[in-house]
Amino acid sequence: MSGNQASTVASKTAPSAANSAEDAVYAKHRKVYPREVHGLFATLRTVGMVVLLGLFYGVAWLSWDGHQAVLLDLPARKFYVFGLTFWPQDFFYFAWLLVIAALTLFYVTALAGRLWCGYACPQTVWTEIFLWIEQKIEGSRNQQIKRDQAPMSFAKFRVKATKHFIWIVFSLYTGFTFVGYFTPIRELSAELMNFNLGPWETFWILFYGFATYGNAGWMREQVCIYMCPYARFQSAMFDRDTLVIAYDEKRGEPRGSRKKGVDPKEMGLGDCVDCTLCVQVCPTGIDIRDGLQYQCIGCAACIDVCDQVMDKMGYPKGLVRYTTEHAMQGVKTKVLRPRTIMYTVLLVALTAGLVYAISQRTPLQLDVIRDRNSLYRETNEGLVENVYTLKVINMDEKPHSYNLNVSGLEGLKLKTPKTEITVPSGEVLNLPVSVSVDPIVLKRAANEIEFTISAKDEPELKHTEKARFLGPVMGH
Amino acid sequence: MNVRTNLPEDDTNSGAPGIQRIIAILWPSFLTSGIATGLFFTLFDPHELMMLSGHLEISRTAAYSIGFFSFWLLTASTCALTCYFLRPCERVPGHK
Repeated sequence: MSGNQASTVASKTAPSAANSAEDAVYAKHRKVYPREVHGLFATLRTVGMVVLLGLFYGVAWLSWDGHQAVLLDLPARKFYVFGLTFWPQDFFYFAWLLVIAALTLFYVTALAGRLWCGYACPQTVWTEIFLWIEQKIEGSRNQQIKRDQAPMSFAKFRVKATKHFIWIVFSLYTGFTFVGYFTPIRELSAELMNFNLGPWETFWILFYGFATYGNAGWMREQVCIYMCPYARFQSAMFDRDTLVIAYDEKRGEPRGSRKKGVDPKEMGLGDCVDCTLCVQVCPTGIDIRDGLQYQCIGCAACIDVCDQVMDKMGYPKGLVRYTTEHAMQGVKTKVLRPRTIMYTVLLVALTAGLVYAISQRTPLQLDVIRDRNSLYRETNEGLVENVYTLKVINMDEKPHSYNLNVSGLEGLKLKTPKTEITVPSGEVLNLPVSVSVDPIVLKRAANEIEFTISAKDEPELKHTEKARFLGPVMGH
Repeated sequence: MNVRTNLPEDDTNSGAPGIQRIIAILWPSFLTSGIATGLFFTLFDPHELMMLSGHLEISRTAAYSIGFFSFWLLTASTCALTCYFLRPCERVPGHK
């Protein structure tokens, strides 16, 4: 699909874009040295980076109602998201949320192309900060290329070692923050200070730190090109009205260098001065003038740099610009089209459904586990007895006392070790109970019964769970 | 002599960096094992599994981690096998 688009957008300059894309998959990797760029979109990208990284490193330290605001407490199997507490039983909501997230991504892609890739994807954001560190230590693009070609020297080693040291420290802190979303980060930092981190916490900090260092320091654009599933299938969401970054071939060609002030028309040239700055700033190392390519992450660095050149030359901006295929062909771009309308309707419906479902969620859960050691037991009174363990989970924000009932067979007797069933907020109570009945009422070997638990102070807060009652079959 | 056929030159051993094949095995399996681990441990609490089976007591974090790497080993083997079977068969000597 991306190959098709490449050939439709700029068929003349890239007749074999599809072939070259295939070759590129197994091409030897050449290091890309993106040149530093300034301008509107570079500023937007920096703002995005600061906000997103700020959220990632900052939110882990926020507290809410006496617990970490966002904590996916895997050891305790509880998930705190500000005022809400989720349990593994709520997995359904999480799956629903993932569907909404995926649809949002499709929606944005259909409307505005690879905005996600260019501004918000963690791979882009972390690569951006790693590039920034690299430029602060190693200098400009040209200095970096020169240093990499030079033989190893003490000065070169010192610069490289400094860069990697800072990258690794930053990566380890990233790993630490990541683990801090799964184990309370304040406890984690206390453990780190006292050098008594658990082995698995240590392992995951190193693992995630290594992944950050490898992906943002070394792999960079290769992650987008070889590893990202979205980059491969995003073009399926594209149509002729999707916002893309494109080079205005009609205006730019034939390209060529010229002196300032010379009328390009006299020389038979287009507006492209062939300065190759758009190639130098590209983080994935492509030439946007070859047409739309699947390697393009839509970061708009080439727009910023080309606009500066156009300004210097006294030409109008926008030789490389955000546009649509239709706009390029002089056809009006349609924002409202069946695809986007469908996505809007689906998204609104799913989001409203999720909000409603969460607001209507009963914060009470009951699991019934049969005693596995015996099927049933006969009591001294001649009754048949089954033993269960009930797990009462209070997902509400306050403690509750509950009434427990059992039904489904005539004359069921329920015995609990405690008469008062009280569960604090966010806790699980394991309650062994025994249920007995006169065997005369048993028609089958396995009978269905129901446990119902309801809060004493809020009768509408109740949950019913089915269970099996086993016993001998009396008479036929 | 066994002769390999139909292999594009790039795909055998010449220009193709082996790292990309390693990524093609480790990365998709990493993604799917992550999903599998999430689903599995949503349904089953490692504590209860260990109580039922009577195995040694380890922390949940340890159980999740071991579970994840077991899944990863499984899915990576699948990817590796797929990669292996994608290569054309070697011809039997003496047959066309």
